[in-house]
This record gives sequence, structure tokens and C-alpha cells, in this order.
Amino acid sequence: MKVLVVYSHPVEGSFTSALRDRVLAGLNAGGHETRLDDLYADDFRPELSAWERTNHLLPPEHKPEIAAYAANLRWCDALVLVYPTWWSGQPAMLKGWMDRVWVAGVAYDLPEGGNRIRPRLHNIRRIVTVTSHGSSKSINAIQGESGKRVVNRSLRVLCNRYARTRWLALYRIDRCSAQTREAFLAKTERSMQRLR
Amino acid sequence: MQVLLVLAHPNPDSFSHAIADRGRQALESAGHTVHLLDLYALGSPAAMSAEEHAAYQTNDPIVSPMVAEHAALVKSCEAMVFVYPTWWSSQPAILKGWLERVMVPGVAFVFNSRGKVRPGLGNIRRIVGISTYGSPRSYVHFVNDNGRRTLVRALHLNAWRSRTKWLGLYAIDTTTAAVRDAFLARVDRVLGAL
Repeated sequence: MKVLVVYSHPVEGSFTSALRDRVLAGLNAGGHETRLDDLYADDFRPELSAWERTNHLLPPEHKPEIAAYAANLRWCDALVLVYPTWWSGQPAMLKGWMDRVWVAGVAYDLPEGGNRIRPRLHNIRRIVTVTSHGSSKSINAIQGESGKRVVNRSLRVLCNRYARTRWLALYRIDRCSAQTREAFLAKTERSMQRLR
Repeated sequence: MQVLLVLAHPNPDSFSHAIADRGRQALESAGHTVHLLDLYALGSPAAMSAEEHAAYQTNDPIVSPMVAEHAALVKSCEAMVFVYPTWWSSQPAILKGWLERVMVPGVAFVFNSRGKVRPGLGNIRRIVGISTYGSPRSYVHFVNDNGRRTLVRALHLNAWRSRTKWLGLYAIDTTTAAVRDAFLARVDRVLGAL
């Protein structure tokens, strides 16, 4: 499979960076072809600009800043997002990637005069999220798992009609043991190796 | 009341700006003091920096002077009003990043001696969210209004004394001017009666 990994964490050496490494190791061991978009390393600008907002229906050919990211989205069979959950959702850096790259002509089409978007990313058949939460699973349930729903619903509906989603999350990361963390890393690597 | 009005839209002539203008007038004529934070105009960075991330675990998690100023406003206000367009069922990155960078330990919550999160926004009595959506209401229900959840659930857990109110204008691109005017009138009414 062709797999795009999108990674968002400001600090090298963080647990999330270890997750990224194990994701890539698992994918390579499984014989998958991978590409990595490391948003912090790229110094990606997450704020959608006034020009981009005004021209949000303009075809992506006119938006050279996002061209490479859009090309990767159109290239992959599977999308793997690796990030820490902050305020029950994606870090602003990753949210900005969604705001700026998942645009008309890339992720969807908006019919003239309509208000219901038509999906475009038919190439994406698998979406995997690898994330960590500071709080427990029950607190996340009370908060409504916003980040999970953004990926598994809002983004999912723009992909292949039969796209499957997988949620790999480590809860209460600040209070869990080294063994639990290592087990999660191993589980993540295994899932990536078996991805199909 | 001291009201913090947080606005996130890149275009100064956007409908979100019109909402914020009307909201501000309504609040001021009702005798409230309004502190407006227009995040794009202020050039507030969306992404948490490596330096901020390192400071997050310390007793002094705030690095930037702008964040310190905004955190002081959060601690002294009695109501927070958020105005933004919903993109991919949540906040624009600039507003999501503002929550991440301003609502840090010591501002929105504290860690107790056992490392558990304890709420810290007892000063806030009202949280109001006003958002515009490209999609119709049925579609927003289908994908879930995750931005709304972040504010009325996740943030509300830390502002446990507050009541929340949500105003949404759906399918904005295909609404008529009359519908948008009616929505502004509703903003007027709700914020005027805060």
C-alpha cells in the first residue's frame, strides 16, 4: 500500500516522535511504500490566510504552497495521522493542515449553488489515527471525543466510500507506566505492519 | 460583566466580523465591558512552539507576552464569547491554537498533588459560541459539531460554574440576506440579555 504519514509534534524526542518512528518502522517491515509530512519540521503555516479564504474554491494549481501536500493526499491508499490530543482534538498545526490542504479540487467539489460537498479522495481506503491523551478514556467520553469524530466522520466522508478507520489511542499518558507505553508502541508498530 | 470576545476569521469584511461587531454593540449597550481579541488581526500564532511545549510542564508555562495578556483577560472575565466559522467540524487552527497556548496549567486548570486535573475557571459564568457553517444543519449533526463539543464540554468542564449558549448559522453560502439579518438580530438579542 502507498501510505502517507502526517506527523505533528513540536519536540523531537517526545513520545509522539517515538510513535512516528514505530509507525514508519512497522510500515517498512510490512512492505508498504511510505511518505512522511512532518508539519513542524516543514515549518508549515497552519493559519488559513484571507486570500485562501476568499479563493477557497479556486483549483489547487493556483496554490503552490500546498501543492506538495495535496499531491501526497491524492497519491496515498492509506492515511496515518500521528499527533498528541490537545483540548480534545488535533493540535492547531494539524488542524491547519486540514484547513489549508483539504480544499476544493483536492478533497471535495462543491457543486455550483449547492451546499453539500462531494468527496474527491476516492483513493484513500484506510485512515489510521495514532494519538495520546493526557486524560482518561471516560473524561474523553464526557468531552465527546471531538478529535476522533473530526477524523472518523468529517475527513472520512471525503475519502473512498468503503474507507475503514482505525483508532489507536493511549489514554492517561502522564500517569501510565513505562511498560504500558512500550506496549502501546509495540501494538502501533504491529498494526502498521499488518495494515491492509 | 467583563466579557472576553474571541474572534477568528481571516477576512475583516467577513460575516463573522459582522457578528462580532453587532455582538460588541449589544454587549456595550447592555452595560458590559468588552475585550475583543481578533486573533488574525493580532497575528496570534496558531501552533504551539517547541519552547512553549517545554514550558508547559513547568510552573511558568507562559512564554509569550501576548499569551500572558490574554491569560490575564481569561482569568478576570466573567463571560467568554467565541465567534468563528466552523471548518471540518471544528475551530479554525488559529482558534484551536489559542486554546492550546492560553488555556495552560495555572490558567484553565491546575494539576493537584496526585497529578490530576482540577478546573480553574470558576470566574466564568457564561460561555457563548457563535459559529457559521458551510454545511446544512443535518450534515453538521451527522459529522458531529466537534468545535461546539470542545467549547461546551471540554472547556466547560474547567469553567464549571458557567452556563453555555450556542448560536449557529448553517448552510451560510446558500442563505438569503434576510436569514443573515435575522441571525444578527438574534445575536443582538442573546448578547444584549446576557
